[in-house]
Amino acid sequence: MSSRILYVIYKEFIHIVRDPRTLGVMFITPIMQLLLLGYAMTTDVDHIPTVVLDQDLTSQSRDLIEAYQASTYFDITTHTSSEQELRRLIDKGGFRAGLIMPSGYGHDLEKLQGASVSFVIDGSDPTVARTAFAAAQTVAQAQSLELAGERIGLTLETLPGVEVHTRVWYNPEMKSVNFMIPGLVAMILQFLTTLFTSLAIVREREQGTIEQLMVTPITPPELILGKVVPYVAIAFFNLAEILIIGVFWFGVPIRGSITLLLAISTLFLLTTLGLGILISTIARTQQEAMYLSFFTLLPSIFLSGFLFPVEAMPRALQLASDVIPLRYMSAVASGIILKGVGLRVLIGEVVTIALFGAIIFGVAVRRFRKRLE
Amino acid sequence: MFRRTLAITRKEIIHIIRDPRTLSIMFLMPVIQLILLGYAATTDVEHLPTAVLDQDQSLQSRELVEAYRASNYFDIQFYVSTEGELGRLIDDGQAKAGILVPSGYGRDLAKDNQASIAFVIDGSMPAVATTAFSAAQTVAQAQSTVLIERLYHIDTGQQAGIGVHPRVWYNPDMKSANFMIPGLIAMILQVQSTLMTALSIAREKEQGTIEQLIVTPLRSLELILGKVFPYVAISLFNLMEVLTIGVLWFGVPIHGNVLLLLALGVLALLVSLGIGLLGSTVAQTQQEAIFLIFFLMLPFIFLSGFFYPLEATPRVLQWISYLIPLRYLLVIVRGIILKGAGLPILWEQVLALGVFAVAMLGLGASRFRKRL
Repeated sequence: MSSRILYVIYKEFIHIVRDPRTLGVMFITPIMQLLLLGYAMTTDVDHIPTVVLDQDLTSQSRDLIEAYQASTYFDITTHTSSEQELRRLIDKGGFRAGLIMPSGYGHDLEKLQGASVSFVIDGSDPTVARTAFAAAQTVAQAQSLELAGERIGLTLETLPGVEVHTRVWYNPEMKSVNFMIPGLVAMILQFLTTLFTSLAIVREREQGTIEQLMVTPITPPELILGKVVPYVAIAFFNLAEILIIGVFWFGVPIRGSITLLLAISTLFLLTTLGLGILISTIARTQQEAMYLSFFTLLPSIFLSGFLFPVEAMPRALQLASDVIPLRYMSAVASGIILKGVGLRVLIGEVVTIALFGAIIFGVAVRRFRKRLE
Repeated sequence: MFRRTLAITRKEIIHIIRDPRTLSIMFLMPVIQLILLGYAATTDVEHLPTAVLDQDQSLQSRELVEAYRASNYFDIQFYVSTEGELGRLIDDGQAKAGILVPSGYGRDLAKDNQASIAFVIDGSMPAVATTAFSAAQTVAQAQSTVLIERLYHIDTGQQAGIGVHPRVWYNPDMKSANFMIPGLIAMILQVQSTLMTALSIAREKEQGTIEQLIVTPLRSLELILGKVFPYVAISLFNLMEVLTIGVLWFGVPIHGNVLLLLALGVLALLVSLGIGLLGSTVAQTQQEAIFLIFFLMLPFIFLSGFFYPLEATPRVLQWISYLIPLRYLLVIVRGIILKGAGLPILWEQVLALGVFAVAMLGLGASRFRKRL
């Protein structure tokens, strides 16, 4: 039996090697994803391009502008002279915020101890807008405290108050790449294996070569195993690729046990290979297989908490995310890599991954066998 | 010429209809993407599960914890009695933040008017952590203001200080759906049509039927036009689908001109078809086409400002982003839908897209003709 499997593996490898371009893409894709996610996907919003309309032109108004600039949230490079001009600049998209200081601001602050300014925020990107919104308030609040202190003769240090010492665990600099790499590890495992497995089997069917394989003494489980082994190997190679680049290039710390990560990844592959085989029993053409793979992959990516926090989703989607296997793998990867936790903490996730694997793989193999007979 | 093109279009439509499952996926895909992007793609975190370790158990400490709860950012779900317990809750992900009020907090505050606490944040998801980070500070700052008011009997909120009146333009509620759905329209115009074009030609190659087409009196331009026409129709249909659901279900306001949006959508489709054509001249098999397009689309999506603001990316990536047509398309679609912008404001982007359309289609068609 094992020699028959080896022949199928050998045959599949020949297929893969004959198409060096696809092979190249397979190996380069994770690197590219890593670079893109590592560098482009940054949610830390600072230096928001801001335009200022200072109708007051007093030392007080300059003080406030200076405070906004010093907060590093806002990059104040441009001054305009009219509200229309400010509107046009923000409409065009070059600026995402606008500070409007009405004339009389300095006077009000001096005489009435209070004054107000307008802060225009481009709300089209909510992530940027929320940061700008909060920062606009915080800076003014800090300025107000300082002013209040001055009036009662206290400096910022002696002012009464509660001080918060924030400690950020696992990822102290809150670097996006540290967060992305565990997610990417989980995603690559699912994406490549599901898509390749389904394509490899459907291609045989589309080209009619599956009949030739069926008349040989190969049994369905042998055929499946033989066909998926090369892709499992590629998936693990990709995983190693990501971890190595992540650690040596991006400086992502791996705090937990790599062996444990590999072991649970293998368990997770049962689910993803099962999905690929399942898709191959449904799809008749490669195009269909590709669409079905994307169809399963999309909700997986969005609901796994890889890109967006599950807590922020509506209740129904949170429930849906409970049946997404990638969610558990994502939690395992980030638990091991970032938090350095072990099996004791992750046991719930591991059992869930095993259950998914057993069910999906079991159903897939049964359906596959039925289709062959 | 027109008749021959139509014949090819009919042939392609028969191909599409013969595979009803793929066709229905093509129509269902935008709906799924819409639901995911409309509902799931939000980093707006409130009610973060939080654990409290109150070693002080005084009136003041309870007041502070209450202030954190009232801020809506933090959901106090656990009260623990040791630091180890707090660590375990955060380790296994049940709590994302922890408030540590040391014993003596109330006494310090009463005696010196000053005290400090520790705030632990799970940093593994930076989008969540940054929000929690600033919320932790803001709440304490507000508490300090309350203290000053009490001690010096001044009303800092009303009289003194600087009031900020924020006005959020274009998307006043800062809803993620309003940001994501225009983005999705741009992405559908770019990704799906490119993929479909490349696949439909690669399939003929893989199955050897392209030779049969070559020996007919068809000219290559007719062949291309006839083949891509059905996919242009599907893409436009998808666009209408997303627009309709976006407006009627998600309540996305369309501030600009829908006709302008459709016209520029067609321009964007020309770019996609050009890229798809180019891809099909490189790929020999469907699998190759899939991976090639996927490989291209990755930087398209991540470097176009679809998910994250381009300003936050490093300089080099910002330069690369100028070579990505989706970047211009996103500004156009979001500009028309959210800002109500017209050609006077968007002309630079439209020009860029036009240049891409001519270049890609020209390059794709000439390479395709040569290969034939």
